[in-house]
Parts: sequence; structure tokens; C-alpha cells
Amino acid sequence: MNENLFASFATPTMMGLPIVILIIMFPSILFPSPNRLINNRLISIQQWLVQLTSKQMMAIHNSKGQTWTLMLMSLILFIGSTNLLGLLPYSFTPTTQLSMNLGMAIPLWAGTVFMGFRHKTKAALAHFLPQGTPIFLIPMLVIIETISLFIQPVALAVRLTANITAGHLLMHLIGGATLALMSISPSTALITFIILILLTILEFAVAMIQAYVFTLLVSLYLHDNT
Amino acid sequence: MYILKCVIATKIEIMAGPETDAQFQFTGIKKYFNSYTLTGRMNCVLATYGSIALLVLYFKLRSKKTPAVKAT
Repeated sequence: MNENLFASFATPTMMGLPIVILIIMFPSILFPSPNRLINNRLISIQQWLVQLTSKQMMAIHNSKGQTWTLMLMSLILFIGSTNLLGLLPYSFTPTTQLSMNLGMAIPLWAGTVFMGFRHKTKAALAHFLPQGTPIFLIPMLVIIETISLFIQPVALAVRLTANITAGHLLMHLIGGATLALMSISPSTALITFIILILLTILEFAVAMIQAYVFTLLVSLYLHDNT
Repeated sequence: MYILKCVIATKIEIMAGPETDAQFQFTGIKKYFNSYTLTGRMNCVLATYGSIALLVLYFKLRSKKTPAVKAT
């Protein structure tokens, strides 16, 4: 039981070869690209969804920020589809790996920070000191703001990893408990099964919300720096 | 709802205009180091980083100068 609990988070291999790259690339083939003026229903729904999301997300940005539209839309689609695919039984979810989430969070956060320092150096530096701070609090607050800046990518990555990993672990545990209780007490097993159903519904929501939160936070960091 | 609030906040800011340094009139050292104007805040931040760098440099150089324990 203990070994099985964490087996789903191990690097997936097929005949000894790691196939994690293939698994990461897999969601992209589920999004066919529009190649006609009037597309079929699936592509039209996909286009409508992407346009709805991009309009809502990029409305707050100026022209400089809106150059990031493709990046942010790809990000939300990738994380959302990866998280949802991970809810299938026996599948591997790349977003449970902190290495992958750090690999997404750090370059995106750093990109926004460097953009801010390059285009609005004065405002980017002044950002470290909130307006109206009392004089004796200035050094402490500058240090605190610097630390909170550097915590941002770590928080982004850990938030996604923890949420998805915890959800998968819970499902695994409650599923195992349901199976074990079936032979002991079917009525308790039924209650546990209902809890498992509710948890699965929650995990569907969490999968999409976490993708949205990750992208929204990157978008907010971009907004602060453009 | 949150996105709507962001859009409305942005529109209000555009209508009201972002705060400018001109509305604050400081004299003396407060003109360059204050927590209200953009320049003042930037200078405070740079001064804080500079003092930390100087402190680190001081302790690094001091530890090099401190002689090693003499053998008896």
C-alpha cells in the first residue's frame, strides 16, 4: 500500500526508457489547429473558448502586456489539459512534479520582472517601497518586499504541485479505503464511495482552477511590470 | 467578478490619472529620499540595498584582516 501510494508520481518508463517528454507533449495533439475559414464543431468550440479566455484575461493589459497573449493562453491550456488528463486512472500527471512547475514559474516570473526593470526602471525599483511608509520602517519594508518578490515563483510552483499532488493522493487513499471496506462493511464502503465521487468532482474543479490561478498570477505580475 | 473589478479599476485609474510626483512639494533631503514620490521611493530602495552591500563588504574585509590564532 505504501509503495503504491507514491508509485503514480514516479518518472514513467516504457521498457526502461523514460517517456515523460512524450507525456508532456501529448495534450497538444488534443487541440487541433483551425485550418479552414469555417471549421468543424470541435474546433469552433475550442476557438470560442480560447477567445473568451483571452478576452477576459488580457483586457487589463496595455499593448505591451498583450504581446504575452499567446504565451498565457498556451500556459492555461497546457496546465488545464495536463491536470484534467491526470484525473484518468493510472495516468501520470506532469504537474505533480515540482521540477516541471518551477521550470514554468521561474522563467515566466523572471520575464515579467526583467521587462519591468527594462521598460520602467524607476517604477520597478519604487515598487519595493509602498507609498506612505513611515521613515523608520523603510529599510525593513524594502527587505520584506524584496523577499516577497523572490518568493513569488516558488509560491506559484509549489501551489500547483501541492494542490494536484494532494488531490491525487486523497483519491488514491479514499479509493483504497473503499475497496478495503467493501468486504468488511458495504454500507461504510458506500459512504466512502460517495465521498470519492464528490472528491473527484472537486478534483475536476481544482484542475481547472489551478490552471486559471497560475496563469492569472503570471498575468498580474506582468500587469505590474508593464 | 475579479476580472471585472480589474477592468473597472484600470478604467478608473485611466480616468483619474496615475499619481504624479508634481503633487508633492518636498525640500532639502526629503526631495530625494521620501516614501511618496517615485524618485524618492527609488532612492530609498537603492540606499537600502547600498547599505546592505556596504555592510556585507565591511564584514568580509574585516574577517580577512583578523589575524589567525597564533600557534603556541
